[in-house]
Amino acid sequence: MVFTTYIFVFYFLPTVLLVYYTLPFLGRQLRLSEDRLSLVRNAFLVVVSYVFYGWWNPWFVLLMLAVTVVNYVCGRILGASQGNARRRFWAVTVAIVLSLGALGFFKYFMFLEVNASRVLEWMGADSLDVLKILLPIGISFYTFHALSYSIDVYRGTAPPVRSFIDFACYIALFPQLVAGPIIRYNTVAEQLVRRSHTWERFASGVALFALGFGKKVLLANPLGGVADAAFGAQDLAASDAWFGVAAYAFQIYFDFSGYSDMAIGLGRMIGFEFMKNFNSPYLAESITDFWRRWHISLSTFLRDYLYIPLGGNRKGPWRTYVNLALVMVLGGLWHGANWTFVAWGAYHGGLLALERGLGKRSLYHRLPRPLRVASTFVLVLFSWVLFRSTDLHEALGYLGVMFGAGAAGGGAVLLPAELYTPGAVAAMVACAILVFRPLQAYQWAETVTWPKAVAAGATFCVALMAMFAQSFNPFLYFQF
Amino acid sequence: MAKRPDVHVGVSATFMVLIAAVPLVQAVSELLRAERPQALEVFCGVPTPTSLRAYESDLEAASVVAGRLRPWVQYAQFDLLGAGGEKAAVGRDGWWFYKPGLEYLTRRPPPPQPGDEPNDPLRTILAFRDQLAARGIRLVVMPVPNKESIYPEQLTRRAASADVVVCRQTRELLGQLHMAGVDVVNLFEVFGSAKRCPGTRSEEALYLVQDTHWSPAGLAVAAKAAAGRLLGRGRVQPGTVPYGVLPAPVQRVGDVVRMLQAPPIERLVGPEAIACEQVFRGDTGEPYKDAPDAEVLVLGDSFLRIYEQDEPGAAGFVAHLARARGGPVTSLVSDGGGATLVRQELSRRPRFLAKKRVVLWGFVERDIRFAAEGWPIVPVPEAGPPRPPLREEGRAQRTMGGAS
Repeated sequence: MVFTTYIFVFYFLPTVLLVYYTLPFLGRQLRLSEDRLSLVRNAFLVVVSYVFYGWWNPWFVLLMLAVTVVNYVCGRILGASQGNARRRFWAVTVAIVLSLGALGFFKYFMFLEVNASRVLEWMGADSLDVLKILLPIGISFYTFHALSYSIDVYRGTAPPVRSFIDFACYIALFPQLVAGPIIRYNTVAEQLVRRSHTWERFASGVALFALGFGKKVLLANPLGGVADAAFGAQDLAASDAWFGVAAYAFQIYFDFSGYSDMAIGLGRMIGFEFMKNFNSPYLAESITDFWRRWHISLSTFLRDYLYIPLGGNRKGPWRTYVNLALVMVLGGLWHGANWTFVAWGAYHGGLLALERGLGKRSLYHRLPRPLRVASTFVLVLFSWVLFRSTDLHEALGYLGVMFGAGAAGGGAVLLPAELYTPGAVAAMVACAILVFRPLQAYQWAETVTWPKAVAAGATFCVALMAMFAQSFNPFLYFQF
Repeated sequence: MAKRPDVHVGVSATFMVLIAAVPLVQAVSELLRAERPQALEVFCGVPTPTSLRAYESDLEAASVVAGRLRPWVQYAQFDLLGAGGEKAAVGRDGWWFYKPGLEYLTRRPPPPQPGDEPNDPLRTILAFRDQLAARGIRLVVMPVPNKESIYPEQLTRRAASADVVVCRQTRELLGQLHMAGVDVVNLFEVFGSAKRCPGTRSEEALYLVQDTHWSPAGLAVAAKAAAGRLLGRGRVQPGTVPYGVLPAPVQRVGDVVRMLQAPPIERLVGPEAIACEQVFRGDTGEPYKDAPDAEVLVLGDSFLRIYEQDEPGAAGFVAHLARARGGPVTSLVSDGGGATLVRQELSRRPRFLAKKRVVLWGFVERDIRFAAEGWPIVPVPEAGPPRPPLREEGRAQRTMGGAS
């Protein structure tokens, strides 16, 4: 199910919220203890989250359930094996291997097959029959959630979960299930048992959800059409290529940060507090700074569960550069099984290593701040070309057009009719104003006042009406 | 600080009322109509991805609130931002364009996926030509340019000096057809010349301003070119039927505007005045009618239907082609199915080929890539024995939604 759809907003969400907030009254009638009531509420959240997830394809629920069971059982073994290091090691290894095995099979097996087939063809042998595998939505996210639990319990930074229901709730919790933020178990372990439900938190969640909804429907979706037109164009002029990639930069930011805002907002509505996922990323002054601000839950996850275990910066400068590059390549591959994502990760990894070699400063750190921000934005735009293109050939072609290598004939003369519509230009201007301001929705919605309530309400109403006139537009990060 | 809680309660309550009111209004309206609330249908049957998608889209399509608001939202988007929604592109000076037609010109074809049916117009056209040739019938192909190809300057200022745009895929197909010796009525050249050197109806554009289709002036130019092609090489003999024309002006809101399904926009834009010319027989005074035993069969899509089978009648391409060649033709029309549906229809009704010497096959340019049924090869059966003419036998139409 997608947050910005009629069925979610008008059927799923009100039903969930009404039942969720009715359960305490029921609990009082049945004289349930606070602990019991929290379990009942979590059980309800598990059921609705499975409905939410199964809405895409009911069979995918079984895979998520299997990952949940494996990591729960391993967590129990870890909890019961204090002092038995060998047993603990094997328990966490099984959890990691099975979880990553599922992710690897569903996400990367076809990629490996296709590439193996190409190599065989190149060697003159018969190509393989490629087995088509349907990618379960959100598998990258819930696998990381599950891994975070097993590793946190193994490291002793979080206690084993009290019940299977709590654990299933953590893995499947619908607000962050399919596109994050990546919630680490140790940050919500306590909230799963006890969380507060206040009008203040609910209202803050509503405001954040409304802003996220507006970001997606009013900004990301119209700019998605512009990016599609530019990246799908037969012939393209250089100016159109720059406009198209800028539109994609705004689209992916407002799409993904909009989703994160909605997820955090929905979490607040049911008493959870999730981590902030974005912090004005396009105000970054270097690529290092960009990764402190973009998809924070992924970058910190990779830092804590991959970069540091690899040795981080503790084994000398060259090993640090290799670690940075490796982590970013794997981070790229996490986004999708395509060489474009590998190239995207390698590009960022290379720039991070370069900046590390310069003392965590950019090549252009002597420039005035606006130019540092602009330079970083341009570097990020190049990476979005890799990210958005369907293959490396297309990406290189697009980058070539950006530098004047394209033929502007044929359909290129008509492209402005798709790119520079008044709506698209208005959305671009609005995005440019919003992304280069330090204030973020996350902070804005922390305290709700009447003027903010009116602004958020107006945004939500306008976005709802715009949704009625739009076709189905899933979030970009659903594919990852 | 007594004010704070009020804000929070107010925001929370307003939000809940807003999101809960829509399904409640829907349920009440369905109950008032003595219907079971549609939302409950999710519990009928085993959920599958397909059934869930269908349920979701049905629920939204039936929504009273969304249905009421959608036209006004579209109106606001059009009025404030010049946006034409998912299907329409709003051009300059009041011109409207069909987005798939624009996308055909601007977008790359997607790479073929393993297991996909081949979508090769050239292969199909050559096969059709050979199938007809085996029956002694000559094929003449007439790709009808997208409106966007002929009037690019009405879409964007950048195309002001572009005259006519022939995109790569169309150019390739025309070249391949030429190389393969297929008879082609090249309307890109014809319309390009007509734009540059306007004739007697120079004041009129070749396409309608609000519609995907050609104007009476455009179809007259096309009919003249097609007739010239048929007669020029002796494919068919000039007829002797004296046809005349009468002015038959109509007013209609164009199909691109109607696709938005937003009456407020239709009212704002208003209908377009169209100066049709109805063709009639000079000897009997009757409006033009097809003849089942004519030498020429015309196959096509809604470009053949417009003005011919809808208002004012006998004023479309077919009638004007008959007038230009001096004799009636037979026509088979399938809205939105110029590439394949019309050939499938012909395959089911072989008597349409009886006594034919030439088949003139028109399809809209964007079908080269976007044909709804692709470009499969369809068998052409032997023409059956001549049959007594039936009422309206010479004219068949299958109407499908959307533009041709």
